[in-house]
Amino acid sequence: MVGLPSSSRKSRSLEPAIVRAMLGLQILIDGFAISALYALGATGFTLIFGVSGVLNLSHGAIMVAAAVAAWALAGNPLFGTYLGALLGVGVGVVVAFATYFIVVRPIQRSRAIAEVEKEIFILTGTLLWGIMIQEAIAYLYTSNPKTVRPLVDGVIGIAGVRTPINELVTAAICWSVIGLLWLLVNRTRAGKVLLAASINPRGVTLLGFELSSVYLLVWAIYGVLAGIAGVLLAMFLGVSSDGIGPLTASAFSIVVLGGLGSVSGSLAAAYVVGYIETITAYMISPAYRTIPVLLLLVLVVYLRPQGLLGRR
Amino acid sequence: MIALRAITRSRLVWISLLIVAIAATLPLYVSAYILGLLTLAYYFGVFAMAWDLLFGFAGEVNFGPTFLIGLGAYTAGILNSRYGLSIPVCVVAGAAAAVAGGVLLALPALRLRGPYFGLITLVAVLLLQNMIVIFASVTGGEIGMTVTDVLSIDETENYEYALLFMALSGAILFGLSRSPIGLILQASGQDPIEAAALGFNVAKHKLAAFCVSALFSGLAGALLIFYLGTASVGTVVDISVGVQVIIAAVLGGRRTILGGAIGAVFLIVAGEVLRPLGELSTFVVSAVALAVILFFPAGLLGMLMRGREMR
Amino acid sequence: MTGGSLLEVPLLEVRGLTKRFGGLVAVKNIGFAIEAGEILGLIGPNGSGKSTVMKLIMGIIRPNAGSVRLAGEDVSGWPSHRIARRGVGIVFQHSRPLHRQTVLENIKLALLPDSLIRLFADPEVDGRARAIAERVGLDRVVDRRPATLPFADLRRLELAKAIARDPRVVLVDEPFAGLTSAEVETFSDLIRGFRAEGRAVLLVDHNVKSVAALVDRVLAMYLGERIAEGSAEAVMRDETVRRVYLGGSIETASRPETAFADAVPLLQVEALSVLYGKAQALDHVSIHVHEGEFVSVVGLNGAGKTTLFNAISGLVPYSGGIRWGGARLDGITPAAIARGGIVHCPESRELFGDMTVRENLDLGGQHQTKIERAERLQWLFDLFPILQSRQSQTAGTLSGGEQQMLAIARALMMKPRLLILDEPTLGLAPVILEQLSKALERLRRTTPITVLLGEQNVTFALPHADRVYVLEHSRIVWEGDPGRFAKEAGAGYL
Repeated sequence: MVGLPSSSRKSRSLEPAIVRAMLGLQILIDGFAISALYALGATGFTLIFGVSGVLNLSHGAIMVAAAVAAWALAGNPLFGTYLGALLGVGVGVVVAFATYFIVVRPIQRSRAIAEVEKEIFILTGTLLWGIMIQEAIAYLYTSNPKTVRPLVDGVIGIAGVRTPINELVTAAICWSVIGLLWLLVNRTRAGKVLLAASINPRGVTLLGFELSSVYLLVWAIYGVLAGIAGVLLAMFLGVSSDGIGPLTASAFSIVVLGGLGSVSGSLAAAYVVGYIETITAYMISPAYRTIPVLLLLVLVVYLRPQGLLGRR
Repeated sequence: MIALRAITRSRLVWISLLIVAIAATLPLYVSAYILGLLTLAYYFGVFAMAWDLLFGFAGEVNFGPTFLIGLGAYTAGILNSRYGLSIPVCVVAGAAAAVAGGVLLALPALRLRGPYFGLITLVAVLLLQNMIVIFASVTGGEIGMTVTDVLSIDETENYEYALLFMALSGAILFGLSRSPIGLILQASGQDPIEAAALGFNVAKHKLAAFCVSALFSGLAGALLIFYLGTASVGTVVDISVGVQVIIAAVLGGRRTILGGAIGAVFLIVAGEVLRPLGELSTFVVSAVALAVILFFPAGLLGMLMRGREMR
Repeated sequence: MTGGSLLEVPLLEVRGLTKRFGGLVAVKNIGFAIEAGEILGLIGPNGSGKSTVMKLIMGIIRPNAGSVRLAGEDVSGWPSHRIARRGVGIVFQHSRPLHRQTVLENIKLALLPDSLIRLFADPEVDGRARAIAERVGLDRVVDRRPATLPFADLRRLELAKAIARDPRVVLVDEPFAGLTSAEVETFSDLIRGFRAEGRAVLLVDHNVKSVAALVDRVLAMYLGERIAEGSAEAVMRDETVRRVYLGGSIETASRPETAFADAVPLLQVEALSVLYGKAQALDHVSIHVHEGEFVSVVGLNGAGKTTLFNAISGLVPYSGGIRWGGARLDGITPAAIARGGIVHCPESRELFGDMTVRENLDLGGQHQTKIERAERLQWLFDLFPILQSRQSQTAGTLSGGEQQMLAIARALMMKPRLLILDEPTLGLAPVILEQLSKALERLRRTTPITVLLGEQNVTFALPHADRVYVLEHSRIVWEGDPGRFAKEAGAGYL
């Protein structure tokens, strides 16, 4: 999983109570931003699963591909930060489509693979595809961590806690995008069809909608979401091709924790995970930050396999 | 002794014996470097065969074979480096620890289906990895640890140990898969309801499959570190190692057991052949594996056997 | 257990068996007993709970109440494999043999003990497996793999596996589904063999007729409850059974086929055949529907109605021809067929359970303009007033009858030229049937709509129909005017 923002914000010699209060506030702010990023990343992942039943294990690779593209382009004076970020998201969409057309769809349509085995084939196939992307990135741009210049520089104080403006911008963008997605799904015709397809694909076909177009739409949306999440991650914490596996794993955990296919569940779970990690990192040690979440995951999967908010 | 007769009649068995016999003569004419590569491949072959018993026969998708492998490897390693126990004792203890881990994994497997169980196995690996890093004073953490003893310092001897171990493991696992137990396991994996209606205690048989798979994973993991002389997260625990095991098994052919060994040798040899490509070699190996999955889903051995089965 | 009591205690005794799934009571207080050497037929239409009873006996699902006794021993709540070891065998309708093993190995599997240490099978297993193969007529194919066998042989293999377990009680699910009449004879003999050996046999099937020649007694179920019990003849004569299957007296209002002006029928299905794996689901079925006509296809569950409709909607591959307004439909996607005017309201309803009634309807109307959609909606609320008051409720929370109305209304939102209704009465209470029936009648009187209705409930299917087809065992066996149905085709229907 990702590390904490590196800027150290330790207060000097204040009263212990105030220190505790400020630490609490800091956890609140940092956790909020990290969780928002997790939520955005996991939303696309869960959307694909909800609509087409695909667990895409190249998720982290797509995010990092978008981030590295943004990093490479933003460094070029021809593009600059903003256009570079935008094009990075575009690369995310392109890679998402490539995943669908090269790996997922051929397996879904294959006659040589039995229906019951398609799930494991898609899992293995997307995993291999993710490794290919990872290796390609490492080959072309090395596996060193890359940080994209934030959209907005500067630091502000929130009740005494110095917070980079970028952290707030990141959270704001994440929530705006999630809000737009909500509007798209609940307020537009195409979105309604998408929602309907996630509930009952056969019903959608019977009403005269082509499922193949629905899938294209959902992969496009997924590409945009993963792209934005990747680029923002690169601005906030930095990315590297070595971080692809943990990124996929964290999206997978969040989605399972929230209930496979449930978008609201994923949003809630993203916050649970984001805050547990932040609290662990601040209160215990950054080295232990992922452990409580993993334990929680095991517990939830044992006791409530449909996830916190999943429907069965 | 029908099963025995069926096995001796199977052409696959004779071909395998022939290949093992030829492999045994390799030290006479190949370099120590190649022997070293093959030694590694043979241990990986056992990992892949043990995985295939769970996936191909019991129908359980274990994304964390390295949980079992790592338990075996680290248990053996710690006992050797900290308590100075002899290699055989350490290997047996490692295998026992892996079996205990297998039982731990089997419990959710009997309740959960599909992706949920797959996730638990992934989480198990991540937890193990975290534990190793946290208890760095015992395990060496991210750097890894050096064991006191090694199997042998002679490449040829190491090679022969690995070959013998793989051949024995392969024979046992293959024999098991073709025995009545293999039949019941396959029936349980394919349709647990029907298997239970035929009077088979599905839970019991699956638990046994987990134990056997864990036993061989743990043995191979423990032996591997006594070959390498070190144990580290990157060689026996990391998810990418597990992915390699799965790719080897799928590439060789699911539900064939022996395919796992073929896949492992293929992967390691391919990686070596592609070494001039430098960092791109993993890319190419993954691409080849993806192409096999997309175009030849039955795998290498699966393709060879398919013609024969249609008699 | 003493030898004396064995004679008095029935081999299988079921008492007060009840199973609820959520709010639905699938099985309600069912009880019966089967003696050694007796065959009991358990019949009922789809959704009557008969298959659930079978699963409850086998321990595949646990009952909420009631008991299952095997020769006096209460086994209810036991896991499946223990019940199997105590002597209950089951022949599943759909077989899933091990594909990489031979037929003989598949039979041997059933002969194996539930042991982890038997690495080699007993030598006599081979001989016993061969004997069983011979008994069921598989002796010539023992070395083949299941994938190369015809359908009937796969069913024989299932039977062989059940025999291999030497069960005291045998449960058989739809013994004759998908078999030819000659095959039905051999299977009947095999099942009679069970009786002769003193086993207790439970046959589960849709109707009395298919098992009448075999059974000693019949128990009929409907909506989870027992409605009749007795000899096959008595059950066939039973008033309640007749009402469930045939309905009471039926008034028909058919229009002659010549009344429809179109020279080429709107829908023509010619020599349509569909295979599911190896099972023949439809065999050279030909039907046609004129513009404005109301055609009913009646047949029991499993006769092939749903397959016929799925083929027309492009959802399953087929051979033969389907023409729509004269043009062939093959190669067109299901969605395009739906947009082209053939709107299918399936048996499973396929509603969007988490979306509201209104959202479901709006999705159906998405291909129309806003004004058309609003008009359509108003008209549908007029046809099904209950939907108007339920607009903001999610579809999943509606009652079965309301869901069915919503499914029909959603299909009508698409302005179909042909509305295909598959089994709309499935699992619905009689009072709801009446409401649905009235709505259909209004639809027929007030609009020029063309309807193709598939039903097992004849009372529901006949009153509105202009023409009726009877589908039996994948074939059309009768066609004609609904007025002649009772006389010519009704007797063979029970």
